[in-house]
Amino acid sequence: MSGAVSVAITKRLPGFTLDVSWRAEQSVLGLFGPSGAGKTLTLQCLAGLIRPDSGRIVVDERVFFDAAANVDLSPQQRRIGYVFQGYALFPHLTVVKNIAFGLRGHPRGDRARRTAQVIERLGLGGLERRYPRELSGGQRQRVALGRALAIDPALLLLDEPLSALDAPLRRTLRDELREILSGWRIPAVVVTHDFTEAYRLADRIVVYENGRVIQSAPRAELLWQPASEAVARIMGLSNVLRGTVVKAMPDRIQILWRGHTLEAVNSPTRSYLPPPESPIAFFIRPEYVRLIRKDRGAPDTTHHMNLMRGRIVGEADFGTVWSLRLRLDTPGTAAQGDFDLEVEVPHLVYEILDIERDRHWEFSIHRGSIHVLPT
Amino acid sequence: MDSFPIWLSLRVALSATALTLLTGVPTAWLLARKRFSGRNLLEAVVVLPLVLPPTVLGYYLLLVIGYRGPVGRGLAAMGLELAFTPGAAVLAAWIGSIALVIKSAQAGFETVDGQLEQAARTLGRSEWSVFWSVTLPLAWRAVLAGTVLAFCRALGEFGITLMVAGNIPGRTQTLPLAIYDRVQANQMGEANALALVAVGIVVVLLFGLSRLARLRY
Amino acid sequence: MRRSSVSIVLALVCVALELGAIEAADPPSLTVFAAADLTFAFKELAPRFEKATGARVTLVFGSTGNFAQQIRQGGPADVFFAADQSFVDALSAEGVLLPETRTLYAQGRIVLATAKAFGPKLTDLRSLLNPQVRHVAIANPVHAPYGRAAEQALRKAGLWEALRPKLVFGENIRHTLQFVQTGAAEAGIVALSVANVPEVEWVTIDAASHAPLDQAAAVVRKSPRPELGLAFIQFVNGPEGRQIMKRYGFMLPGEF
Repeated sequence: MSGAVSVAITKRLPGFTLDVSWRAEQSVLGLFGPSGAGKTLTLQCLAGLIRPDSGRIVVDERVFFDAAANVDLSPQQRRIGYVFQGYALFPHLTVVKNIAFGLRGHPRGDRARRTAQVIERLGLGGLERRYPRELSGGQRQRVALGRALAIDPALLLLDEPLSALDAPLRRTLRDELREILSGWRIPAVVVTHDFTEAYRLADRIVVYENGRVIQSAPRAELLWQPASEAVARIMGLSNVLRGTVVKAMPDRIQILWRGHTLEAVNSPTRSYLPPPESPIAFFIRPEYVRLIRKDRGAPDTTHHMNLMRGRIVGEADFGTVWSLRLRLDTPGTAAQGDFDLEVEVPHLVYEILDIERDRHWEFSIHRGSIHVLPT
Repeated sequence: MDSFPIWLSLRVALSATALTLLTGVPTAWLLARKRFSGRNLLEAVVVLPLVLPPTVLGYYLLLVIGYRGPVGRGLAAMGLELAFTPGAAVLAAWIGSIALVIKSAQAGFETVDGQLEQAARTLGRSEWSVFWSVTLPLAWRAVLAGTVLAFCRALGEFGITLMVAGNIPGRTQTLPLAIYDRVQANQMGEANALALVAVGIVVVLLFGLSRLARLRY
Repeated sequence: MRRSSVSIVLALVCVALELGAIEAADPPSLTVFAAADLTFAFKELAPRFEKATGARVTLVFGSTGNFAQQIRQGGPADVFFAADQSFVDALSAEGVLLPETRTLYAQGRIVLATAKAFGPKLTDLRSLLNPQVRHVAIANPVHAPYGRAAEQALRKAGLWEALRPKLVFGENIRHTLQFVQTGAAEAGIVALSVANVPEVEWVTIDAASHAPLDQAAAVVRKSPRPELGLAFIQFVNGPEGRQIMKRYGFMLPGEF
């Protein structure tokens, strides 16, 4: 199955410039970033609905757009399936007519067969004669998908496929969508501003900010090694902090932060050796801060690294986990407003440790859980 | 009661309305969907016949299609004539009513979600097909309303017709001209009868329109 | 869907073009463009002409000014009866009418008309100043000859400025009469030839108080039947025609 996509385009709009370049091999690619970063604009250029100012777009070895060679295939010629945000279902057509809409040129028997296939595979049986206004959000999403898939596209484009749905539905459909995408084996580009969604749906993620690509990586790499503070912020990571380099070694970096010298692992994909005294950004996952039980004597330093003490100054109950805000005992301005670290503990731990009453804690962070962000 | 004006007016109004649809709907689509220089000029030209006094409009039209005018002479060279024929009445009715279709249809097209048309394009439909399968079906009520208004306006066209077609009984005397003529000749009975017919046609049409408008897609 | 869209467009084109198939009545033998004030007189006169000559006559009534424009642009008139000779002279000079056929067929008279619903008949122009007369109808002096004459008469009597605010203008003489007929105007100055309607009473106005309203007719140059047109004009001025014309208030100088 071919389907490599390569995009290198620029587009100037009043007050905004898009200048992006990325590649994807036959899989699901996620375009992730805040609203207004140019992700939807990229999709529209891919589909041929908007013409870039310069550059080249190649899909499955077909040149869709090449400014220098003056090639610009119309949307009709590109055979791309587009699932719009809001779905853009034809309100005056039934479900079956919506899905068959792109099959105009096919002989009638073929058209009926394909449509029936799509309807069955997407679990839309029984809804053929309904109109979009009579469908639920999840059903509409599947019809929109089905309409795009029916034409057997070389590439599938999905613009915020889940944002029109309410939260509980979103989770179920997210997983369903993943199944559908892998089941149909059609390369896809998914746009989303939700990192969990991008992570769940895509194999590779391209991070957009302000019309530019600031990181392009397999999803795991992005999750554990955001390329910069900007990426970490966009991903909504907590505990993005700044300190000063004490000493940098190939495998470890010592960082001075809030009166403590922390030891972190260095980024494995590159040897990053900032000089001492230079500023450095890093982040710590809230769920990897370990509160130390008070009933077991002094902590074992081989086990518990980067020991610190602090007081809980805020907390929030999220149903299955508690989010706590810790302020370090060391004097000085707190790193994040009125607290230093965000810590996440499962409900069970909260209860066992009686955190409701006991607000002063010693805690540790494994060096592997402190992630350095290259500037 | 002389029934010639009634039949003439019906046929003139039908022809004019057909012409209006053929020319007005594409123009409305152009104005609704395309950016182009000269757009404002087109919009002004479209509304002009509603604003100019009809006899003035008729006079200028006569200068063009009369046997001394550029179009008139061209037609005469081909053995055709337009001024003072029922064709001129159709022309007058068309000019007087096209703005109604254009404005209604334009408003209708503008309310159609552009994203639906984009979706149709990605699904392989040509521009013509996008218009027929998506835009028009979603705007049909507005187009229909404009068409009925245009028909009624064409049926009642007076001032322009008087000038370019003339008020020639049995040839170009349309229903409104006939009513006017009877009133001028103090034949109130016949004038009233003809007026009643005109009103009757319009009432039936508007009634039909409101029934149709209640249908769903 | 593609097929039905094309067929709809084709159907529309057919309907639009069907205009060519609109059948008119049989082409008339003689088309007469006549000023509106001749309506009653000619409707009685034309059938007599038809009987006498065996020709068909189509009468078209309207405003002299409009007719002049239309004839200039090739309007299908065979003969033109204007309410004001100046139009005939102008068109003759342009070569549109045959000057040798120019014939005076009447001299118009204006009368002071009162709506019967208003009250007693007004007999003097001065009585128009009466505050109970709120509106006075005259034909539009800018383009209607009877309107011009009305203005001349009022100015001669020194009443124009005083009456100006009360004046209501009709597009032609029939329109003017309607104002008085319906009582919208309590009084007005109209043509003698149209004033004989039940709702109105009138008195003549001195012919010397305005320039003569010579009404002339002529045959149109491009008419394919000029002899028939001329015959019609001569019929109007002939013994039978004159009788009818006089009855409707159209008199030639010498007949007053």
